[in-house]
Amino acid sequence: MTHEPNAIPSRLDPERVPRRDLLGLTALWTAAGTLFFSVVGMMRIPKAAVLSSPSKKFRVALPDTLAPGVAYVPPGRSVALFKDEKGVHAISTICTHLGCIVRPETAGFECPCHGSRYDAAGVVTKGPAPKSLPWLKVVNAGGQFTVDEGATVPPGTKVSA
Amino acid sequence: MKKNKYLLLLSSLGTLILLVGAAVQENFGKDWRKIQATAHSDEGPIPVQLRQIVNGTLRTSDRCVSCHVAMGPGEQSVTGSPLLVQHKKVVHDPAEYGCAICHGGQGQATEKEAAHGEVEFWPEPMLPASRSYAGCGTCHATLHVPNHQTYLRARATFERLDCRTCHRVNDRGGTVRPGGGSLEGPDLSRVGLAGYAADWYPRHLQHVSDAASATAPSPPPSAPPSAWKTAFAPVSGEDQAAVKTYLDLLVGAPQFVEAKSVFNSSGCLGCHKISGVGGDEATDLSRAGERDPGQLPFHEVAGRPTLENWLGEHFRSPSGVVANSRMPALAVSDQDIDWLTFYVLSLRRRELPSTYVPRDRVRATKLGEREYADDGATLFGTFCAGCHGPKGLGRRSPGMPSFPSIASPGFLALASDDFLIATIRQGRPGRRMPGWERDGGLTRDDIAKVVAWLRETSGTQAKPDPKPRRWVETGQGTADKDLGKRLYAASCSGCHGDKGQGIEGPALNNQILLANATDTFLAETISGGREGTSMQGFLAGSSSRRSLSPQEIEAVIAFIRTWEVTRK
Amino acid sequence: MSVKEPPSAPTALQEFVTNLKAAPRRIAETAVRSGTPDTDRTRSTFIFGNVFLHLHAVRTHRWTLRWAATLGLGIASVAAFLLTLITGVLLMFYYKPYTDVAYQSIKDIHFVVPTGRLIRNIHRWAANVMVVTVILHMARAFYTAAYRKPREFNWLIGMGLLVVTLGLSFTGYLLPWDQLAYWAITIGANIAQSPREVTDALGLTDVFDPGGLQKLLLLGSDAVGAEALIRFYLLHVMILPLALAALLSVHFWRVRKDGGLAKPADVDQRLGTPTVPTYPVFTMAPNKTYQLAAIVRGRTPAVGRGPENTVPSMPHLFYAELGVFMLTVLVCVALSVWSDAPLKELANPLVPENPAKAPWYFLGLQELVAFSAFAGGIVVPSIVLIGLGLIPYLDRSDVGTGLWCGGPGGWPLVRRSIAVGLGIALAVEAFIIRFGWLREWIPGIPQLVITVVNPGTVITLLYGAWSVWMVRRFSSARAGALALFTCFLCGFVVLTIIGTYFRGPNWGFYWSPADWPKH
Repeated sequence: MTHEPNAIPSRLDPERVPRRDLLGLTALWTAAGTLFFSVVGMMRIPKAAVLSSPSKKFRVALPDTLAPGVAYVPPGRSVALFKDEKGVHAISTICTHLGCIVRPETAGFECPCHGSRYDAAGVVTKGPAPKSLPWLKVVNAGGQFTVDEGATVPPGTKVSA
Repeated sequence: MKKNKYLLLLSSLGTLILLVGAAVQENFGKDWRKIQATAHSDEGPIPVQLRQIVNGTLRTSDRCVSCHVAMGPGEQSVTGSPLLVQHKKVVHDPAEYGCAICHGGQGQATEKEAAHGEVEFWPEPMLPASRSYAGCGTCHATLHVPNHQTYLRARATFERLDCRTCHRVNDRGGTVRPGGGSLEGPDLSRVGLAGYAADWYPRHLQHVSDAASATAPSPPPSAPPSAWKTAFAPVSGEDQAAVKTYLDLLVGAPQFVEAKSVFNSSGCLGCHKISGVGGDEATDLSRAGERDPGQLPFHEVAGRPTLENWLGEHFRSPSGVVANSRMPALAVSDQDIDWLTFYVLSLRRRELPSTYVPRDRVRATKLGEREYADDGATLFGTFCAGCHGPKGLGRRSPGMPSFPSIASPGFLALASDDFLIATIRQGRPGRRMPGWERDGGLTRDDIAKVVAWLRETSGTQAKPDPKPRRWVETGQGTADKDLGKRLYAASCSGCHGDKGQGIEGPALNNQILLANATDTFLAETISGGREGTSMQGFLAGSSSRRSLSPQEIEAVIAFIRTWEVTRK
Repeated sequence: MSVKEPPSAPTALQEFVTNLKAAPRRIAETAVRSGTPDTDRTRSTFIFGNVFLHLHAVRTHRWTLRWAATLGLGIASVAAFLLTLITGVLLMFYYKPYTDVAYQSIKDIHFVVPTGRLIRNIHRWAANVMVVTVILHMARAFYTAAYRKPREFNWLIGMGLLVVTLGLSFTGYLLPWDQLAYWAITIGANIAQSPREVTDALGLTDVFDPGGLQKLLLLGSDAVGAEALIRFYLLHVMILPLALAALLSVHFWRVRKDGGLAKPADVDQRLGTPTVPTYPVFTMAPNKTYQLAAIVRGRTPAVGRGPENTVPSMPHLFYAELGVFMLTVLVCVALSVWSDAPLKELANPLVPENPAKAPWYFLGLQELVAFSAFAGGIVVPSIVLIGLGLIPYLDRSDVGTGLWCGGPGGWPLVRRSIAVGLGIALAVEAFIIRFGWLREWIPGIPQLVITVVNPGTVITLLYGAWSVWMVRRFSSARAGALALFTCFLCGFVVLTIIGTYFRGPNWGFYWSPADWPKH
């Protein structure tokens, strides 16, 4: 069918192919980009930038009466410290199964939640725990020891007193 | 529609630019990030992240360690920028206490000005670095601090006796043992807190005799001879007492203690209260160090608008900074004004969780122990010197009635101990002298000590008075009250007020005065005057005042006594 | 001879693989069923095939798309609301509505929460922008007489939205728990208690105390404290937003059912020919592009008339709305980047702010409240609300609908009313600033007299008198409404400006904050 310019098209005519709307597309994509950028920015909010729990590094002074093989647990921390003639080491007391706090026993650790058992070096001897208890980094700073709960060291690492 | 597309495009672009700018600013532009980027520890560069010290009991989250990284727990080895230095060794571990509880400021902030509290709407700016030890006052109330003179003498004695030869105190002194190892004597910087052996002197002497005697184990040949043989000499009892005073005050904050000793020489507690002790003429100072500089007037204060500067000006010229102030300007040296400023800055006694209330504060507030030493000189310095002058010779300040001289020999010769004690105990109700036993918290013992000190410094005892307390009415001839009234109006009312209410001179109608002053006291004072004041003797008279005969003086006394309300 | 076997049907496994491979494309196709909106049909399905979009009509009238028709204020209000909603939800991750930790949580949001400072600033600015746009939108609806039949009820819904918006802003004001918040809400609660002014004067308070009840319901206690905070939090994050969303849905629905936005009766002549060729919609044409669920009585896009002057909503209305939305976002983000949301010292019940100021939109009222809490806080706002609510029911003519300042009087009347409104407000303010009011001249005067005779009631009466005069002059309720609305709008502006910039400690008048007396 012929097509007269300036005539109001009738609904019965086939559709005219519209010209590509560069301005509109640019505008829309810019808007979409801005909104996408802002959504990504907003998604950063739930991830806290700083945790309100106490610092992972803490200083501890071992009591003089601490016998070798006896655990010292600083109040409020999930760490067991030991001192013997080779030095001082720290073992995390967070059970590797589901996170309960293990109890230092005479030779090793025992978890009250599901019965995992560890030996004196933190190696799993019994129960559902998948890994041994990690040894935590200890630094000797002039008589006082600083334990870093966020850093692990190979088992057997001891820091001389 | 085209307009709308342009609108959409331009607004989106504008928003995008702003958001990107904000993102860049937050992720790259922050000062703490820049500082941490230059920092490194023994193990290499440190992770760049916000750091904070959290104390759940004190409810603080101090982010100072985001910039001052090396002061954080376990981060001592971090270096890089000039900010990254370790915290000085202090009594309390910053890793537990955080920073703001001692230093003030806004611990939650992460930008410098906000963190230092130097922004509007943060009422507690950080203490200036030179006065950091004023922060001890947030929790502590050091006990038994003497006046400044006593403190200086105690410290000088300690220095003179060369105790620092073996002992380290406040980062000075101490020698290493011959043969190596530790210092000869323990570090005494905190023995006021930790305690020390009460029999230190006999034990020192024991060491000396051990070193000298043949029964002592002989030192290895290569070692130098025992220092005890020559270093320690006997110490007099007076010096021992001074050393004890000094040791008891070694709490790891020497400036704090000295400032308090200056305070205890300035008599501020004569009008002000701290933690419930003191006079009630003026504001409670317990938290004066926490005042918000944003609420204070600074038009009379030179320099920056800080609380420090305001306090200094307050001491120099109180009515310039506090409207209608009745505080006399302190005529003391600049050094003393600095000390007083220091001490007032330390008055930040906020409510604390029970696990953090120190022993000294419990003893001061709950167990009634004193923050000032209880010798007469310190008591006078703490409570009386502010009004009556450092030597008790009275004080005059422009625009206000003068404070009487209580240590002049003339006065003390007339005033019996009973008179002094009663006056101090009951004060002058309605006037500025508080009743120290009832309201001020002093015991009779304290008051007696003050009186004893007054007598001792002036060297004057009370003249015994053979006459009865009241002899005017019953004496030879009845005294004429009407004559007394006329004479009073003519000669006395100018200074003492027409109703005896007191203007320049003391209030003569005060019931406590009338109850305790004997007629001899009144007669002698009127006759002979009070040296050092404008009260001249009326017996002799002068070119400006007529003289009064003894009978006229008795008439005046009789008139004055009519103001006395006798309880039946 | 080989029998040609028909091609075997695909096995189940082959079908499975084919379907799996086609799945992504099919997911896209089933999610967006309408296809690219390049024909009128697809443009229509784009709108009504989407649950969020189908609140819009498929076609929009060209008249209402013009900028001058609405200034985009309605969309700007919705945009501001969406901004506050989203930023508000994000803030809820960190804000703690308990008096001992609220202030700290705001400080944390400002200093350590990632993007927290910007989000909080946007929240505050968008809230202020929303109050402004809502008031301007109401003014636009009034001046274009868009409240007339059949839109009367939508006007009332709009007023409900105004009240809920102010309520949202007011409840949010308390949450930072700083000095600004605490004392502003103390004032607000005491205004709620102000009926006591009247019941006290009449000696009725013991038996009839609506004021006390209002304050108790608001605060949950007799002073602003932890109970008030949690109540305001509940109102702010749940009750009022839900109320707003519900009212908004009704508001938009009503716009649809009322036949779109208000237009003048001779709109077709005013418009002229369209510049963009569009398919005319003949309602008698076949293949109408949307389905009718049922035959219903009521106003719908015109049935049985000639070609409409409408254009497809997609893309015309789409771009207009998006444009306004992004402009609002730009304004709010720009304000947020430039200026921080205020946060003063921690709330201290023992130290009143001086001056203690209500949020800015209530400062005009606070100006009046300085004389009589009841008159300024309850009477005048009630008169205003009732007056606004009655407008569509008192002005029932249809002259000038859809045109700015339409109706008898027109722009000249509005111009004169601006002068009268500003003049009366400024004159009364100047008077009270210079001479004080009744209590300064007659110290023992009973409060009840002041409750009746105070600047608020005086201004209201004077405005009312002007409005009545205009009614009689033009024999038209619309003229009176134009006069009254304009006067109140001007009065609101004058009082708010004075309350914001020229009132200092003890509510004294100061030309500048530099003149405020020092402590």
